Amino acid sequence: MREYFAEDRERLKELGPKAMDKAARTEAQQGRRFRERLANNAALGVLWVAAGITVAALVLIILYVLINGAPSISPKFIFTWPHGVTAQGGIWPTIISTVYVTGLAMLIATPVAVLAAVYLAEYARQGRIVTIIRFAADSLASVPSIVMGLFGLAFFVEAMHLKMSMLAAALSLALLMLPIIMRATEEAIRAVPRYIRWGSYGLGATKWQTVSKVVMPWAMPRIITGLVLAMGRAIGETAVVFYTMGMAINLPLTPLDSGRSMAVHLYMLAVDGINMPAAYGTALMLMIVILGLNSLAHFIQRRYRKVR
Amino acid sequence: MAPRLPLRQQDDSLRAPDLAETTPQYKKAELIMVSRATQIKERALLLLFFLCAIVAVLGVVLIFAFVAVKAVPLFKEIGFLNFIAGTKWSVAKEQFGVVPFIVGSVVVTVGALAIGAPLAILTALFLSEVAGPKARAVIRPAVELLAGIPSVVYGFFGVTVVAPIISRVFGGAGFGPLTAWIVLSIMIVPTIAMLSEDALDSIPMGIREASFAMGATPWQTIYKVVLPAAKIGIIDAAILGMGRAIGETMAVLMIVGNAPQMFAGLTKPISTLTSQIVLGMGYSSGAFRTALFGMAALLFLISMALVLIVRLLSHTDREA
Amino acid sequence: MVKMKGSILALLLVLALSLSGCTRGSTGIVVSGSTTVEPIAEVAGEDYHKAHPEVSVLVSGLGSSAGIEAVGITKTADIGTSSRSLKDEEKKLGLTVIPIAHDGIAVVVNPANTVTNLQLNDLRDIYAGKITNWNEVGGPDEPIVLVNRDESSGTRDAFTSFVMGDTPFSLDAVVLPGTGQVREVISRTKGAIGYISEGFVNKQVRALNINGIPPSPANIASNKYPLSRSLYFLARADISPEAQGYIDYVLSDAIQQGPVRDAGYLPVTGGER
Repeated sequence: MREYFAEDRERLKELGPKAMDKAARTEAQQGRRFRERLANNAALGVLWVAAGITVAALVLIILYVLINGAPSISPKFIFTWPHGVTAQGGIWPTIISTVYVTGLAMLIATPVAVLAAVYLAEYARQGRIVTIIRFAADSLASVPSIVMGLFGLAFFVEAMHLKMSMLAAALSLALLMLPIIMRATEEAIRAVPRYIRWGSYGLGATKWQTVSKVVMPWAMPRIITGLVLAMGRAIGETAVVFYTMGMAINLPLTPLDSGRSMAVHLYMLAVDGINMPAAYGTALMLMIVILGLNSLAHFIQRRYRKVR
Repeated sequence: MAPRLPLRQQDDSLRAPDLAETTPQYKKAELIMVSRATQIKERALLLLFFLCAIVAVLGVVLIFAFVAVKAVPLFKEIGFLNFIAGTKWSVAKEQFGVVPFIVGSVVVTVGALAIGAPLAILTALFLSEVAGPKARAVIRPAVELLAGIPSVVYGFFGVTVVAPIISRVFGGAGFGPLTAWIVLSIMIVPTIAMLSEDALDSIPMGIREASFAMGATPWQTIYKVVLPAAKIGIIDAAILGMGRAIGETMAVLMIVGNAPQMFAGLTKPISTLTSQIVLGMGYSSGAFRTALFGMAALLFLISMALVLIVRLLSHTDREA
Repeated sequence: MVKMKGSILALLLVLALSLSGCTRGSTGIVVSGSTTVEPIAEVAGEDYHKAHPEVSVLVSGLGSSAGIEAVGITKTADIGTSSRSLKDEEKKLGLTVIPIAHDGIAVVVNPANTVTNLQLNDLRDIYAGKITNWNEVGGPDEPIVLVNRDESSGTRDAFTSFVMGDTPFSLDAVVLPGTGQVREVISRTKGAIGYISEGFVNKQVRALNINGIPPSPANIASNKYPLSRSLYFLARADISPEAQGYIDYVLSDAIQQGPVRDAGYLPVTGGER
């Protein structure tokens, strides 16, 4: 939609005011026109300022973390263990724990979320069940992370006896990621043009053949974008992980091992406030990972646009 | 219509819907020529997809059930009313009135929304209606990145940068609603801005063209035409931003001061539902722990209510 | 779609591996409880694991009460840690109490503050919200900004029992979840008062004398300083030999003169076991 209208929109923005000048003929009209132009420019100025503040806030936060965190980052910081009473040294096990739990959560959430989206986009007929599913997905997306954390603690950790573990955290995170991936996938599938499906059906393909061989490959770039964004959300998540994975510094091997994620490590360093350089360093690493993932999502999106 | 053959008496959901619906001259029956095995496979897959879709429903039900059930003993012990309408919170005295925290959550959320929502909506308007391709190419990704920054980082920023400034200007320790407003409003800007922009983008170009053709200035077009048309979508966005603010935990915990008292001033420490849960979970047991689960259940209901409002609004919008 | 099937298979594989993995591998000792004890227990655990690779020590800080519950009731931990002595109902659990360090709680103010000494009852009145200005205790005309710890903090527990008794804290206090934060806030707020473990007092803040007694190591070890306490390990009677080995290691000079001192605590001297 957006690409289609983009050119028109740019032209309108340029031509709008000029066309109005021509239309303004009488003096009274010109006076009014002048006031309107003034109001217009003032209002548009406000919009510029608002956008400027938003960008400034981002730049401020990124610079703040970058300037304070950069001196702490070194290969030693990344690849060694924290040691001592104030977590001197590196953050290696927290990086591994983060990657581990996020990967596991992705493995759990992705198939379920993608198939659920396939159901909603391709198979389900609008009705009460679909309404309920959509409402549930929306609700799931808006569950506060602390509530999800307590649920993970009560259900996965305690009721299912998974203890504080990678698996308990991954399952809780998967629940958090589920609606994000579902929504992205459903939108991606819906954006697949109809004629492509017609072609497939026309060749005698069944519904599943059409979905798996034609629709999904076409929608894949946008699905991957959704996955990457959900991953970013999981990596930055603190409250959920805090109550389901614990905070023991540990190099997880099995999914039933506990560990401390980067976000939890940062939280603990920050509230503790003793070893601030390590806190800034961890914050920077966390930001680099998440901004990296965001850029990856953008890259995939851009490539996809070009290909099409 | 050709007579239906047994093989072709299929579940509607398995046929090729688009073609049959959009091009009636093709007869439904002719399109379905698949073997029994394929039929079974397709049905099994359909069931699998449906089960996956049900996971979301199951998740929501389980979350509420497990969180609420844990809170039930408390309601038996101190009574639901003493919990939801009680104004005194004291773990030692087993008083678990959550009104101060509800008030705290509301104060923090409303303030953050009052600052963040206008900023976000103006940013969205800028992106959608004013910005040239170059400005948009810079600002849009920036807004999206802002959405991706983990909340702990915001909290960290609040504690080490915003709180000292507030302390210097207004006295006190720098923790309280004002600090939370500033940090939270930055946090919810991307959520609201991105969703508002989606709403603005979905307004057809035609009505803008019509407005310009009538001689309206760009601002008049925005104010009198585009905004009213996108109103519902923007309100949706603001409500979802509100949900984000009310559910925000770690960042809030780090900057509100966590005093279990009623709102006493913009630079006086207060607590929110979320911050109090985290502070309490570490050592809670018995009735106290159930009170924290009760607060979580309350948060869950609030977020559900917000989603419901959004859905109802969108629904009336579609009908209108 | 092929990829998706692959990922489901991979998940099952991981699960299967993990279940089989549980049976072998090293012995794990779970140590949980006080956030005050956590850092020492953690460092000791790492060092112990280096010396005895077959034993790994998992330390988590959930607060003293949670630690006591974990070792005594739910039995999810092998060793509980606490920065307070047991309450009566907890004594019924039959746990062995092993002191591992002494700690003094320093009452700290901004270095610019001219007050050097507080009587214990003045301190109580300050934290109860009855005294709200420094000039009431011989200081400058400056409103007192109370900084408190969160209720899961062992330091707060100790402060409550040493200073407050049954007097409730003023609700107006800023509640901070970490020692470093307390120190940071006091160092930048002129009228602020807070309390932290003596080991964490640095140049950013100044420790007050209480009842005229400075929080010196000697005064803390001898319990002369009014806000002195000990840190404890708690174990069940059926403690495993591995866990007992770890406890012995914590009580050895390697830990007592190393991490315990690094954390600003005082080593336990003599055999109080």
